[in-house]
Order: sequence, then C-alpha cells, then structure tokens
Amino acid sequence: MSEAVLEISDVVTAYGKIEALKGVTLSVARGSITCLLGPNGAGKTTLMMTASGILRPRRGSIRFGGAEIAGRAPHDIVARGIALVPENRLVFPHMTVTENLAAGAYQRDDKGAIAEDIARLFTRFPNLKERAAQDAGTLSGGEQQMLAVARALMSRPKLLLMDEPSLGLAPLIVEEIFRIIAELNRDGTTIFLVEQNAHMALKVAHHFYLIEQGRVTFSGSPGALAEDEVIRRAYLGSVRH
Amino acid sequence: MLVDLLQNTLDGLMLGSAYALLALGFTLIFGVLRRANLAYGPAIMLGAYAATWVHLQFHPGVLVLAAVTIAGATLAGAYVERLCFAPHGRRGAGDAGAIASMVGSFALWMQLEEAATLWLPKHLYGFPPLYDGPPLGLGPLTLRVEYLAMLVCATLVCFGLHRLLNRTRFGLAVRAVVDQADAARLAGINVPRVFMLVFALASALGGLAGYLIVAAHEQVTPMLGMWSTLKGMIAMMLGGLGSLPGAVVGGLALGLIESHSQWLFGPQYRDLIAFLILFALLAVRPSGLWAMLRRSPAPAP
Repeated sequence: MSEAVLEISDVVTAYGKIEALKGVTLSVARGSITCLLGPNGAGKTTLMMTASGILRPRRGSIRFGGAEIAGRAPHDIVARGIALVPENRLVFPHMTVTENLAAGAYQRDDKGAIAEDIARLFTRFPNLKERAAQDAGTLSGGEQQMLAVARALMSRPKLLLMDEPSLGLAPLIVEEIFRIIAELNRDGTTIFLVEQNAHMALKVAHHFYLIEQGRVTFSGSPGALAEDEVIRRAYLGSVRH
Repeated sequence: MLVDLLQNTLDGLMLGSAYALLALGFTLIFGVLRRANLAYGPAIMLGAYAATWVHLQFHPGVLVLAAVTIAGATLAGAYVERLCFAPHGRRGAGDAGAIASMVGSFALWMQLEEAATLWLPKHLYGFPPLYDGPPLGLGPLTLRVEYLAMLVCATLVCFGLHRLLNRTRFGLAVRAVVDQADAARLAGINVPRVFMLVFALASALGGLAGYLIVAAHEQVTPMLGMWSTLKGMIAMMLGGLGSLPGAVVGGLALGLIESHSQWLFGPQYRDLIAFLILFALLAVRPSGLWAMLRRSPAPAP
C-alpha cells in the first residue's frame, strides 16, 4: 500500500459509559478510495464524527498527513484539509444553494477563487446551478446530497470523508453519486467512504474495512472482500451478479 | 381627544423603539444560542453604572458617556457569556445545558447587581440628559428629542443588523449556525467564536439601548437591570421567539400598549395590562405578532 494520509490507531470514542469505538485501527492510502462497511450501530458514523472533530476520542491517535489531529476542533480539522459529507446530508435548509456553497468555503479568504470554484461545481452539478437561488430545503434528496458533496468540496479538501452518501436515494441517483466519487478520486482527492451498499462500493473502492461492534474485523482488497464467505453472505448475499 | 390619541400613539412608538432596541439584543442571543440570558439587563445596568461613575469623576460629553455605557455592557456581557454560556454552549446539548446556562445567568444577574451597588452605593444617581432643550412641536403634538433619538437608533440598528446578517462573511456564519449547527461546524465555522461575537454584539446593542434610556430618564438605579431584561423579554415574546423583525414589532407593540393603557386606566395599571395582553397573546398565538402579521407558521430566526 502507498503512503497513508490518514492513520487511525487504537481510537476509543464513547457516549457516556458506552464505547461505540473500542480501539479502531485503520489507515487510508493517499489517492485511494477506501470504504468502511459495517452493520447499523457498528460505529461507522461515530468514526467519521471522531475523525472530523465533532466527537472527541477518549483514547488513541488520529494522524493526518503526519500531524496529530485527535480531539482538535472541527474548524481546525477543516482548515487542515479534511471535509466530511455527513450522514443525512445536513444542508443549511433556509439558505440558498449558493449560500450553502459559500459557507463551505468559510475557512478560505480568496474571494476570486471561491467564485471560480462555485462556477466549476455548477458545471459539474448542473441541477444545482438551476436552483442556485433556491433554499436548500426545497431540493430533492438527491440534489441535497449533491449539494452536501459540493459544499464539502468548497473547502478544497485533501481528504473527503463521506458518510453513507447513497442512503435513501433512488438507484439512478446512487449511480450518479458513485460516478462523481470516482471522478473526484481521479482528480486527486483521497476518499474515505462509509457505505451499506457494498455492490456499488465494490465498483469504485481500492480497499475495504469491515467494522463490527466498534472493532475492525476485516481489512483487504475488493477481491479479498468478494472471496470472504462470511462477508459475502452478509453484504453481497441476496443480490444477483 | 383625537390629539390625545395621536400623542399617546406617538409616545408609545417612541417608548416602543427603546423596547425594540432592548429586544433586538435579547432576541439575537436567543435566536442564535437558543438560550435565555437573564443577565442581559444587568450587564446593561453595569454599563450604565460605569458611565455614571465616569460622569461623576470627569463630566465628559454625551458621546463619551454613550461609548462607556456600550463598552461596559459589552464587557459585562462577554463575562456572562464566558461563565454561563460558553461551558453549555452547544445547541442541542439538551435541556440540562439550557437550564444550567439560564440559572447561571440568574446567579450572575444577582452578582452584577451586588457589584453595582458596592461600586456606587446610593440607590439613585442622576444621569446627564442627551439633550437639554425643549421638546419639538409637531402642530399640537410634542416630541422629546431623546425619544426621537431612540427611534432613529432603532431604525439604523435594524438596517445595520439586516445588512450584517445578509451581506457579510460573519453574517453567513451566524445564519449557518442558526440553520444547522453541526453542518456549520463541519463547514469549518468556529461555532463557539460565533456565539461569543453574537453575545458581544447583542450586549453592545443592549448598551446602546441602555444609554438612550438612562439619558431619557436622567437617572440610574440598580433596578435598570431587571427592567431591561423584562422589557426585552416581553417584547421578544410579543413579537415572536427569536425573530429579529418580531423583536421590533414586539417592542413597538409593547410601547403602544403601555402608553395607551396608562392614558386609559392610569399608570398603576400600565404593566398589569401589558402582562395581560402578553398572556392572552401567548395563549392564543404562541408564535407571536410577527408570525401573525405574516400569516405563516412560526418563522425560523
């Protein structure tokens, strides 16, 4: 594996007395798409929230580009180059699409380049351009997901974290999202993705982790994942090839 | 009779603009943090005490006194924020956080009041007026310059706040925090810092209102603290929780209610009637006057 841009080691995050992460260790290679699979309640979202600074780990280390970021404030972590597309999108519902994008660039002060980035994202997401002046709350689920991705990109992240980007979306939109993920990765963004939809993830991801009950229980290539009998039954089982 | 009615309406609107200014600060804090700051008025009172002290020592001009009141209220407000609100600052930190910060602000209310009376122990101090001349005549009506200043300031502050919130980077951050606090944090906005700046801004607005009020009344007492919190809160409730236009509407409405009920029933019934109307409104339309005027569900702040 090439050089790791994100190294998580022995991270414990707890809600009160309940440990949601019980010592998670994994790494994300620079330039890769790394996918984290796991059942509901396994700690996937907790890990994403911990990496982006919303939750503070009780123990362990998170290194990004060599620097320790565990327990740092979210705005500091964004400034270092990590952006999270949160679960359920969390757009700013009463702000326009353009304002949502501007908020995503809050850490930057290069006004001209921000305007260029907005224009560029509007070419990538033509639906958003049509609705530029509309409140984000009036957008469809798929459009909100696109907006959440675009907003995260406005901070020009080196590492994009995505928490279940396909959740609750129609199959066509899901394909569109994964096409965009592959595109972003080709353009040089490292992506660390949480996904339930293992079939879609298998098409794009370079490395897989499986998390169960707060612990990493599998790490391997897409090939190894597809060959693992237990995982196949749990995550790829019922769907035709 | 008609002249009386007009004069009362005019007086009510002028008094109401002072309430509107008070309510704007109170509402700004409530709208952004979703927390009631009971020490809002006492911080204003402390600013007015600082100005009174400066006045007794140095007899400076009105602008200096206004600046001292605003600076004093802002500092006292920042102190309240650090102690009561920063530790429980997270929106959605749950009921415990909301109650802890509210009770904490009540404790600081008492503390600020004690501090003021230790500093300047007499119950009442004179305060120099903003303007010493006679009131302006508008045909048969009269208008005090101090109240005109309140109306002008309230109008300017309204437009200024609107611009600040809709045209600036800071305003974008404030609206983002109000709209979706977690998303704002993920977008790289330093939410605790936004809270602190909002708090300071609200306390400065309160300080401006406080200066105009004590300069109009030409006196300062420790009661100013409770009075300001109450008027700011009632005006906010009348207008609609956490809505800035609502704060202005609520402030003006409270001024009109007070001046008319004072004229109709006498000063001893003034506050009673204001509370009665507040109670009736909250029972019927808890989202307040502004939402009623817009004929829509309770607006987001």
